[in-house]
Amino acid sequence: MLMHVINVGHDVFKANDKIADKNRKNLDRHGVLAVNIMGAIGSGKTTLIEEAIKALKDKYRIAVIAGDVIAEMDASRFRKLDVPTVPANTGKECHLDAKLVEKALKEINLKNTDLLIIENVGNLICPVDFKLGEHLRIVAVSVTEGDDIILKHPMIFKTAELAVINKVDLAAAVDVDPEKMVSDIQALNPEVPILLTSKHSRESLDVWVGAIEAGLESR
Amino acid sequence: MHEYSIACEIFEQVIATAKAHRASEVKSLTLVMGRLTHTNPEQLKFCFEVLAEGSIAEGAEFIVEMLSPSVECECGYQGRAEPPGHPTDQSGEDIGEDRSENGNESGARNRNESGAEAELHQSELLEYVAALNCPTCGKAARITGGQELIIKTIDIETEDES
Repeated sequence: MLMHVINVGHDVFKANDKIADKNRKNLDRHGVLAVNIMGAIGSGKTTLIEEAIKALKDKYRIAVIAGDVIAEMDASRFRKLDVPTVPANTGKECHLDAKLVEKALKEINLKNTDLLIIENVGNLICPVDFKLGEHLRIVAVSVTEGDDIILKHPMIFKTAELAVINKVDLAAAVDVDPEKMVSDIQALNPEVPILLTSKHSRESLDVWVGAIEAGLESR
Repeated sequence: MHEYSIACEIFEQVIATAKAHRASEVKSLTLVMGRLTHTNPEQLKFCFEVLAEGSIAEGAEFIVEMLSPSVECECGYQGRAEPPGHPTDQSGEDIGEDRSENGNESGARNRNESGAEAELHQSELLEYVAALNCPTCGKAARITGGQELIIKTIDIETEDES
């Protein structure tokens, strides 16, 4: 019997990052801007994406990867808007990873795509550890999750590049101060742009669409 | 909860490495886990143990060394970022040093306190994230470490030298 210590040095998350880098290069090669929309369950991710598609589809060629435990429901909502949509079923997993996105990318004609919207699984925890190859990391929460939602999930806000606080029209009904949520995000991530949105405020949706379009124009 | 899929990858890597070295048994494995990952060491250990049943890694000691975050700031600061007065913050003096490189002291401690350490990891994530501002100038700093999950070493047993 002999004992050996073997150096392994394998980073589980770096293995994902490597595939994410490959995805990123693939997207860049085709001039595609990819946005990863993360957020809580019921925060309005799908609705925000629908609004972006409606406002931008005549000007840009859009494709969507709809990630969910059962992705078909959201995917069918996007297909109704006539954009190519690939459902990415995560099965028992709580997040999309680079491998699932790599697989989904094979079903998208990147040559005919300007904007790829990736809707992550509703979850403020697990998606943080898994890069996908995206250019813009967006996190969406809504006031109905309570105004302590940000402090309970600091890493997703710390690493986000755009933060959306949605359903602000309901703030009074659920006794939440959106300004507290804004200042909690600013404390974690002073430079991140923060949008306050509501599906009933056209003006707020225009700002949201404008943020995506700014990304497209700076490609 | 993604510990199971991470444990699957760890298990596959451990078994592949062990077999490549003709191991008859895996005695222990040592992981380095960044404090900013959303991975629970206790759940990961449980998942690994379930996966390892009936394999050459069954019963292997599962050691997790926690790694504190490090940051880089535009003011020029590079180093660890830890909440003030935190138990792992041994003294104020070595704050710029990356203790994780040798990681031995904290590793040894964690060996005996993995349960308590797991709890600490969970409860203090916010404290760690809040401490990610530059300790020198107070600005929000770029995270350069603390998000990794590395299979560092495995201890194996082989039948003979051949």
